[in-house]
Amino acid sequence: MKSLVRAAYRSFYVSLRLRVVSTWAYLNWLLFPTIFTAVGLFVLSRPGASATHLTYGVLGGGLIGYWGIAYIDGGNAIQDERWNGTLEQIFAVPTPLWVILLGKIVGSLLFGILAFVPTVAFAYLGFHAVLPNLDAASFAISMGVLTFTFLVIALTLTPLFALWRWAFSMLNGFELGVYVLCGFMFPVTVLAPWAQGVGDLLAPTWATRALYASTTSEGPHDFALWWIVAIALSLVYLVSAYFLYALVERRARVSGELALA
Amino acid sequence: MTRLALEAGAFTRAIYLQYIALFQWATVQGYVAYKVLLPVTQILFFTELGVYATGRQNALYFALGNALQLTANAGIFGVIATVANERQYGTLPILLASPANRLVTFLSRAIVNVIDGIATVIVGVAIAVVLFGLDLHQSNLPLMFVCVIVISLTTAGMGLLFGSIGLVMRDAIIIANVVYYLLLIVCGINFPISRLPAAIQVISNGLPLTRGVEAAREAAAGASIGHVQGLLAGELLVGVVYAFLGYVLFRLFEAYARRGGLQESY
Repeated sequence: MKSLVRAAYRSFYVSLRLRVVSTWAYLNWLLFPTIFTAVGLFVLSRPGASATHLTYGVLGGGLIGYWGIAYIDGGNAIQDERWNGTLEQIFAVPTPLWVILLGKIVGSLLFGILAFVPTVAFAYLGFHAVLPNLDAASFAISMGVLTFTFLVIALTLTPLFALWRWAFSMLNGFELGVYVLCGFMFPVTVLAPWAQGVGDLLAPTWATRALYASTTSEGPHDFALWWIVAIALSLVYLVSAYFLYALVERRARVSGELALA
Repeated sequence: MTRLALEAGAFTRAIYLQYIALFQWATVQGYVAYKVLLPVTQILFFTELGVYATGRQNALYFALGNALQLTANAGIFGVIATVANERQYGTLPILLASPANRLVTFLSRAIVNVIDGIATVIVGVAIAVVLFGLDLHQSNLPLMFVCVIVISLTTAGMGLLFGSIGLVMRDAIIIANVVYYLLLIVCGINFPISRLPAAIQVISNGLPLTRGVEAAREAAAGASIGHVQGLLAGELLVGVVYAFLGYVLFRLFEAYARRGGLQESY
C-alpha cells in the first residue's frame, strides 16, 4: 500500500513539474477560463438581468477551466507519453496503471481548481460581480462532490486515450458539449428534454446543480439528493472502470501496438 | 515565363503537401471530432448561452456569429499548426535550408486552410439552421457566401502572422488557442463590440472577423452588396495587412532562428 501511495505521489509530482516546464502553459489555465468568463458575463449581464444570470457568469468560466484542465489535460498527459515514447514503459512497470493515472489526474485537479482564481477575480474587478447569497458550507461540499466526479470520470476514461488515439480527439472535440450537458454556464433546463436526459446521466451535472443552488436563495435546494446522485453515478463509473482497466491492460499487451494506436 | 511556371508548379505542389501534412490526422474519427463535433458543440454552447440570456428570438445572432468564427479554427489553428508541426516532426531545419521561394512557401500554407475554413462555416451554418430552425429565406445567401470567403482569407492572414512565431517558439499552438478564443470577445461574435471598453473597440477594429461578421449579419438580414462593400473592403484590407506583417515576421524570425539554431529545439 505504501509503495502505491509513493508511486501515485511521484506520478503527481512529475506531472506537476512537466506541466510548468513552459511558462506559456500558464496561459491555458489563466486566460482560457477568463475568456469564457468574459464572454459569459458580457452576454449574461445585460440591463435587467437577474442575479442568477450573473452567478452563471462568475462561476461558469471557472467550471469550464476546471474541467478543461482536469480532464482534457489528463488525457493529454497520456498523449504526451505516447509522443515521448514512454507509454510502453508505463504499461510495463509493476505499478498498476490506475495508480500512475491517479497521480497524474490529481495533479490536473490541483492545477484545474486554480482556474477559479483568475475568473472570480476578473468577474469582481471587471463587472463588480459577486455571489451575495453564497451558502459557504453547501458550496464547499458541492465543490468537493464536483471534484470527486471529475476525478472519477477522468480516471475511468483516461485509459481509453492510451488504447485509442482517436478517443482523445473525439472527447476533445466534444469538450463544449460537456459544458452544455453539465450546465456549466447556463441551467440545463434551457435544453431540449432529450438533452436534459443525457445530462442527467453525467455526475458533474448534479454536482454543478448543487454548486449553483448554493449561491442563490431562489429555487429548490435538494442538496442531499443532488450530492447522493452525483456520488452514486460516480460509483457506477468506477465499477465500469474496473472492467475497463482490465480490458485496456489485456489489449495493450496482446496487440503490442500502444505507440501506434 | 519559365521561372513563373516553375514557381506556380512549386506553389501547387506546396499546397498539395500542406493538405497532406495538415490532414495527417484525418481519419474518420478525427474528421468527426474536429470538423463535426467541435463546430456543432461550439455553436450549440454559445447559442444556448445567448438564448438563456436574451431569449430564443436572438438565436440567429449567436448561431451565425459562432458559425463564422469557425473560420478562425482553420485560418488560425490550421496555419499556425503547419509551422508548429514542422518543428515537432523535425522537418523545420530542412524547410529553412531549402532554396524554395519564401513567399511561395509562406502563402501556400494558407490556401488549404482558407478552403477548409469555408467548408467548416458551411457545415456550421447548416447545422445551426437544422438545430435552431433558423429562417434564412430573407437572407442574401450569395452575399453571405462572399462574406465567408473574405473572412476565411482574413483569418488566414492573421494565422500567417502568428504562424511565423512558430519558427522561434515551441508553444505556438498555445498562442493559437488563446488568439482563437480571444476573438470570441473582441470581434462581435456574441455581443456587439459597442459593449466593450473604448480602448478594446479600437483593437477590435484592427482585427479580422469584426467587419466581416458585421457584413454577414447584414447579408443574413437581406442587405445588398452595396450596403456592405465598405465593410468587406475594410475586412480584406485588415487581412492583407496581417499577411504582409506575417511575411515580414517570417523572414525576420527565419534569420533569427538560423542564427540561434532555434529551429531544431523542441
